[in-house]
Formats: sequence, structure tokens, C-alpha cells
Amino acid sequence: MAGSADKRRNRALLLLAAIGPGVLTSMAGNDAGGVSTYSVAGAEFGYKTLWLIPLMTLGLIMVQETATRMGVVTGKGFAALIREKFGLRSSLLAMLMLLFSNMATSVSEFAGIAAATEVMGVSRYVTVPVAALVVWLLVVRGSYRNVEKVLLALSAVFLAYIAAVFLAKPDWAEVARATVVPSFETNTSFIVLVIALIGTTIAPWMQFFAQSNVVDKGTSIKELALSRVDVIAGSLAAGVVAWAIVVTTGSTLHPNGVQVSSAAAAAQALAPVAGSYATTLFAVGLGSASLLAACVLPLTAAYAVCEAFGWERGIDRSWSEAPAFNSIYTLVIVCGAAFVMFPNLDLIAVMVFSQTIGGILLPFLLIYMIRIANDRRIMGRHTNGPLYNLFSWSTVLIVIALTIALLVLTALGMA
Amino acid sequence: MIYLSRMLGKPVLDANGSEIGTINDIAIATGEVFPRVTSLAFLGPDKTPFMLSWRKYVEEFDGEQIQLNVASKDIRFSYLQPDEVLLHRDLLNKQIVDTQGMKVVRVNDLKLSESKNQMRLLGAEVGMRGILRGIHPALERAVASFTRTFGRELHENLIAWNYMDLLDRDLSHVQLSVTHKRLHELHPADVADILEKLSATQRTKIFEHLDNTQAAETIASLEDEYQADVIADLGFQRASDILGQMDPDDAADIIGDLSYDKAESLFRLMGVKESGMIRQLLGYKEKTAGGIMTPEVTTVTESMTVAEVIEFLRHEAAEHESIYYIYVVEEGRQLAGVISLRDLIMSEATTAVSEFIIRDVITAHVDDDQEDVAEVMSKYDLLAIPVVDESNKLLGIVTVDDALDVLEEESAEDLAIATGGTRAWEKGAMSWLGRKSGWLIVWLVLGVGAALVLAAFEERLVGFASVVLFLPLIIRMSEDISNHSLAVLIDAGSGDERPAFWPTLAIDTAIGAALGIVSGLIAFGLLEAIGTSLTAGVVVGASVALTVILMAMAGAILPYLALKPDGSGWRAPSALVSTGIAAVGMTVYLGLSTALYDLVKL
Repeated sequence: MAGSADKRRNRALLLLAAIGPGVLTSMAGNDAGGVSTYSVAGAEFGYKTLWLIPLMTLGLIMVQETATRMGVVTGKGFAALIREKFGLRSSLLAMLMLLFSNMATSVSEFAGIAAATEVMGVSRYVTVPVAALVVWLLVVRGSYRNVEKVLLALSAVFLAYIAAVFLAKPDWAEVARATVVPSFETNTSFIVLVIALIGTTIAPWMQFFAQSNVVDKGTSIKELALSRVDVIAGSLAAGVVAWAIVVTTGSTLHPNGVQVSSAAAAAQALAPVAGSYATTLFAVGLGSASLLAACVLPLTAAYAVCEAFGWERGIDRSWSEAPAFNSIYTLVIVCGAAFVMFPNLDLIAVMVFSQTIGGILLPFLLIYMIRIANDRRIMGRHTNGPLYNLFSWSTVLIVIALTIALLVLTALGMA
Repeated sequence: MIYLSRMLGKPVLDANGSEIGTINDIAIATGEVFPRVTSLAFLGPDKTPFMLSWRKYVEEFDGEQIQLNVASKDIRFSYLQPDEVLLHRDLLNKQIVDTQGMKVVRVNDLKLSESKNQMRLLGAEVGMRGILRGIHPALERAVASFTRTFGRELHENLIAWNYMDLLDRDLSHVQLSVTHKRLHELHPADVADILEKLSATQRTKIFEHLDNTQAAETIASLEDEYQADVIADLGFQRASDILGQMDPDDAADIIGDLSYDKAESLFRLMGVKESGMIRQLLGYKEKTAGGIMTPEVTTVTESMTVAEVIEFLRHEAAEHESIYYIYVVEEGRQLAGVISLRDLIMSEATTAVSEFIIRDVITAHVDDDQEDVAEVMSKYDLLAIPVVDESNKLLGIVTVDDALDVLEEESAEDLAIATGGTRAWEKGAMSWLGRKSGWLIVWLVLGVGAALVLAAFEERLVGFASVVLFLPLIIRMSEDISNHSLAVLIDAGSGDERPAFWPTLAIDTAIGAALGIVSGLIAFGLLEAIGTSLTAGVVVGASVALTVILMAMAGAILPYLALKPDGSGWRAPSALVSTGIAAVGMTVYLGLSTALYDLVKL
């Protein structure tokens, strides 16, 4: 009796132990850039982008599963695999792309912090430097893993959007139709937003983060199935929240023609749930999610770059032991915070735009990933299946095609 | 010099001068310090890989192409031998362990040298130079000449073959040269350092090559946080074998960190004797003599002769941690005395133990604090100390290596308490937030408060800029004074009496006065030199001087208040001391300078 109860508890613990990286990655992915991009999408285009969300969730599941599988099978990070398969020059290219997209996303996190605190009436010129210092100290002192849990819990307020969907009383038939039937507009703002949506849902840094989390935990091949459960659960959770944000903003802000030009405007979507506390609730969620991601982003960049070039790394390494590691995350934090300090910056626009950069760079990093995942020497019998490859390559091609379409439209618009 | 990165992709020409493919890889024989290149791998038409013997067919490599000495139709192709290592596939871009520098590094390039038709591997380049060259040789040259203009040479960082240990390719079945220093031949403590830098998968792989004795010693040297992980990854049978090999006190430490179920499964697989000892050790409280002792003690009785004791040592005590002291026990293991190995060897074979036994033994009680035990051992220069219970029954010994660990641990703890930080995050997030960020937030509030005070006075304060100019000086001074006070605290915290109050205050005030007057004069001089008003110079100079003196006094008083009278501990966390000193400094400085500006009109 006791034995079987023990066994059951053990199995539950095992599941809990394997669950984590995926859920954490996905929750950290619903950061400032994510929430504002989904809000803008709903407010500006109503339900028109809704059909993308199931597809992007599927894409997120596949990409994260690939990253996790690569980590479990090889015990190495994504950056290490890129270096070992493609050599120095390609790694340099990949690392520059990662660094650039992480800096851009970092900008959006600090913009998120600025937007959240300005809603509360504190100037961004006070909060952004303080936040940058706090993030830096958390990383330097290696204590971010404690704070991580607190921030994660706080950023869970975005789950409020799920309740908000029901209170917003949308036209359910219309929502259901829009979720499955694609619709499209051929203008730059729509394409920019689509790229941003993809870039924020399947952000490049998340793949590095997810893989190194699995590697750090030392997940064995036997636990691969559990890790898959974790990835799917995390991605679905992220997808549901994204869908809820678009539906809520699409049914509250869009019909009234409200432009999401500030955090306060975006917060109005939560008014049916939280009433007069909507702004506070939104600000707390936005602030914590941004702070969490602002810690994770510079660390991911520094880990990946040092892993690729074989430099000493780790949050417990001093400046003299790991100069490159420390310089890189300091650089990412400083650049991210400094950009937001430009006077009169439109914070919401910055957040959306930085996600577009992530979206544009994503396919190129995915190419590295797909090619590694198909290498039998590296992956053994755990290479990608044909269906996987089909979907992955289509994602790559579609995003590249969108970027080209964007360039063409911009060129035409200017001419 | 030839670099592999410059060779790859270059053409291979046969004796007729026609291109038959491009260089893909080269193989080395593993038996020498500077291994010979044995084979050439190249990609023929349609990317078909071929391999041929370097010694037989390669005429020369001139930096741009490989010239073969036969026509393509006469080549007999070969296959990769098991003892050959491919430089591109197995080494380039891979992680290796530098067994000399004890580091895990990534190979950026491989340096080769050619002489008399023989190409040899000089070593793996793991430094910046290799990275730059790999990106583009022109970049390497540019950076090298750039640094040279600043008088710094951009050095190569080469690791010779005999100091490399490959992580990805298992070479244990390959006959390596005698000089090859492999990972598992290093001292277990060094192996442990390297293992801590590897991923879990790589760690497990390395443990597969270590035998149980090496594995046991290595695990014992790992930091606590890795021990349980490594044991968990090893599989039960291997883990229990290794734990059985370890000293029981180390094994008990590790098992104590495992879950109940896991520990029980390990016990079941272990010998009855080992598991019994470990279970017993687990029963003692942590951080006491019982918690760090080993139950493996060499005991004899008074009636034995020297010859019998030596015979006994040879057979029974071979595995015991320490045999420098041999303990003499009565019936029921009551400790009667001790004999030293030295006396034993010096005595005649027929002498009875009772003739040279030392009955006055320094012992530790099983519940004694581990720090006290370590201090007693250090005071009497003991290599081991016996641990007894109330009835003087011998339970085990604490050996000097465990005592050293205790001292290291305790000094780290002292430091953590003194700086207000906790070691790692063992006490949970909220407690951490309170402890660490608490002080950060206090600082933040103080800083913002000071800025607000300044801003409020901005209009009235003519010499506003002059006041702000010296704020960093005050903060810096407060840091130095806190450091000094903390040194006093840590010194006093190790169990001595609280230092006398008045002499300390007098000395600190005197030093503070001297420092204050000097910094006041410097401040005055500086302000006059940059041409501010006389008022500003006098006011700021006087404020700086007085503030420094007051801070020095605060530095003498605050630790005194924080420390308990008997010196056994602190009433207030010491971070309060440094924050207090800084608060005194900033308030006094800002208050004083504003007040003085109103009073003094020169």
C-alpha cells in the first residue's frame, strides 16, 4: 500500500522535475514585447490575426521540442552544436544575430518596465536606470534564480486575460471562425505585425534558453518523453494566453477604435475583469514579466556566445575569471536600458518593432537548428522526421517571404 | 607554420598535376608527444570521401595545395585505423580538457609543422588568435599589429597533444604514449574541479572511465551541490559500489542529501558493514563532532605487545583513514589511552602497549560543535582526535582533512554574516530578498532621499555644485570606515572578548580627526583652485572634515553596540553597521553644509 503510494508520488515528482524548462521558457516568452504585440494586433486588426496563433503555437511546440531533444541527446547547448557542426565563421554569424536580437528584445523589456512604471506615475528616467542596476546586480550576484520564482508568479497575472475573454462577451462564432480561417491584408503595418507576432512567439533566444536549461538539468534520454510533455504544456499555455489577449483587445479596444499607444490604453482591455484596478494589474504583470525577461536575455546571450567560443562562463564566475561572459551581459543590459532613455520614445512602438527584428532573424537561426537536428552523427536515431522537416522548412520560408514582401512594400511605398 | 584552418578546402593534386579533390581532414597517430600525420582525407568528385596514406603518397604541402607523388590511378586508398584521430572531425571546434592548465577549452585551430616529408601536430590553439584566424587571416594580422603598437603581443595559446583529453571521443581503448596525461590520471581534487565545469552528460561520460576508487575520491572532492547529482546519474549499483569505497563520513554526507527512497535503495545494495556504519553516522547531528567523524578507528588493547599491534595494523587497519594514532580501549570500547605510531616503531617487539601508553588523551564529545573540534585540533597540532560519548566509549575519530574543511566552511560563513550576504540561496527566495535586497533597498532609499534633500535646497544653496562634488568622497570614506569596523567585528566574532570601548573610540577618533583635517584641507584647496567663492571653500572643507571625524566615531561605536558583551555573536546584522555609518555620513554632511551656508557669510 505504502509502496504504491510512494511510487505514485515518485512519478508525480519525476514529472515535476522534468516539467519546468518548457513552462518557464514559454512564460518568460510572454514578456513585454509579447503582451504589447498581441494587444496591438487585437486593437488594430480585431480578430484578423487570430488564425496565426494556433499555427504559431504548433511552430513553437516543434521548435522547442527540437531544441529540447538536441539538448537531451547531445548534452550540449545550441551554440556549442552550431560551433561544432558549422565552424567558426558560421558561429560568429549566428552569435551576432543572437546578440542583436537579444539586444533588441532587451530594449523592449526596458521599454516594458518604463511603460509599466509610467502608468503608476514614476518617470522612466528614474525607473529604467534603477531597473538596469537591479537586473545587473541580480545577475552578478547569481541570485536571479530566487527572484525568478517571484517574478514568474507575478507575471502570471496575464492569466487574467483568460477570464477577461469571457467578460468581454465576444461574438463567439466570429472568434471561432477567425481562429481557423486565415485572413490577410497587404499593407506594411499588417506584415510588420505578423512578423512581430511570429518573432515574439517563437523568439530566437527562447530556443537557446530552453536547450541550455535541459542541458543544465542533465535530463537523460529516458526522460525525453517527460520533457516533451513539458514543452507542449508550456507552449499551449503561452498560445492560450496570446489568443486570449488578441480576443480581449479585439473585442474591447478594436470596436471603439482605441489605439494602443500606451500601457494605460492596453490595460483598458482588462477593465471588465479588474475594474478600476485594471491599470495596476496590467502594470504589475508587465513590469514583472519585463524584469524576468530582462534578467534572462543578457544571460542567454552571454552563455551562448561564451559557449560557442569556448570562454569561461557561469554566473558564479568573477570578472577576472570570465571577462567575456561578464562584459557581454553588461553590454546587453546597458544597451537595452540606454536606448529607452532617448527622449520622447514611443514605448509601445519600440516593443513591437523589436519583436519584428526577432522575427526577421528567426528563420536564419532555425536553418542552423534544422540542419543540426537532421545530422545523424550528432542526433543518432533522434533526428527530425519528414513531417517535422516539412513544417520547419515552411516556417523558415514563410517568414523569409514575409520579410521580402515587407521590403518590397516599403520600397514601393517610398517610391 | 601550418594551420589546419588554412589547409581545409585546399586542392589535392596528383603527380600529373590534375586536381583530384579538396582537403577535408588529416589523421594523426596517437603515440607521440608531437604526433605524426598519418593519413589524408579528401573529398573527391561529388563529395565522395577518400583516404590515403600520408607517408606513402604525399610529396609536399606548400601552403596552397597538396602535391601527391603518384598518378591518381595508382593510389591505393586506405581506411581510418582505430588508433588514428581525425583533426577536423575529432578536435577542431570541439571542447577538450587542458590537463595541464586544468581547464575546459574549445579548440579554435590546430598548429602543425612540416619537416623532411613529415608533418607533425604541434598542438591545439585555444586562444583568441585562433578565433581571429578562423574568421579571417587578415583579421588576425590586423588585430596582432594593432596590439603590437600598444606594446602587447597577441600570444598563441597552444596545448600539446599529451596534455589534451578529448571529451567527445573515447580514446580509452587506444594505446597512448606513456607521457600522455589523461584526465583520470590527475589528482582526484583536480578532476573534481574540471568536472564542475562540464555538463551533466559529459560528467557521466567521464565517470564511466574512472575506476571505483578514483570515482570515490573524485566525488568526495566535488562541491556538495554536485555530489548528489552525480550519484543520481550513476545508476544504483555503481553508486553503491562507489559509496562503499569512500570513507564512511564522506559517504554519509552524500547520502544525507539524497531522498529517503534513494538512500534506502543504495543501502540495500551495499555491504552490511558499510551500510551499518553510514546509517550510524547519519544518526548524529550535522555540524557536530559526530557528524564529521569516521567510525573506522584502529583500536588495540593494553595487553597486546608491539609485535602484535604491528601485525594487527598490517591486516586489519589497511583501509582506515588514519593510523598515526592507535587508540587503546578496554572492554566495551572505553578509551584508555593512545599510542603513537612513532613510539610503536621505536619500541622493542616484545614490549607491552601498557608500558608506553599515554593516558592523558585529548578527546572530543560526540555533540561538540565541529568548529570547536577543529580549533582544538589546530591548537594541539593533532592529525586526528578521538570522539567519545558520556561513558567515554570511543565512537570514532575526526581526521585533519575533515577539520580543515570545517575551518574553510566556517570562515566562509563568518564572511557571509559579516557582509550581510548568505552563501548561495539555501534559505529560499523570500529570505534572500529580505537579507540581500533589504540592504540594497535601504541604500536606494537613502540615496534617493539624499538627492531629494539636495534638490530641495538647490535654490538656496549657492555652492550646490561644490557640495555635490565631495559627496562621492564621503561615500567612499564611509566604505573604508565600514570595512575597518567589519574587520574589527569579524576578529571579535571568533569567540574572543569584546574589545574595550574607550581606547577603541579614542584611537578611531584620533585617526578620524587626522584623516578629516587632511581631506577637509584638500577639499578647501581644490575648491579655491577651481575658483569658487571663499564661503564655498570654507563651508565644504569644514563639513568634509567634521563628517569624516563623526563617521570614524560612528565606526567605533556601532560595532560595539552590534556585538554582544561576551563576544559570542551579534545583536544586529553587521550590514546595519555599514549602512549606519553611511547614513551618519550623508546626513551629517548634507545637514552640516546646508546649515553652515546659512551661518557663514564671508
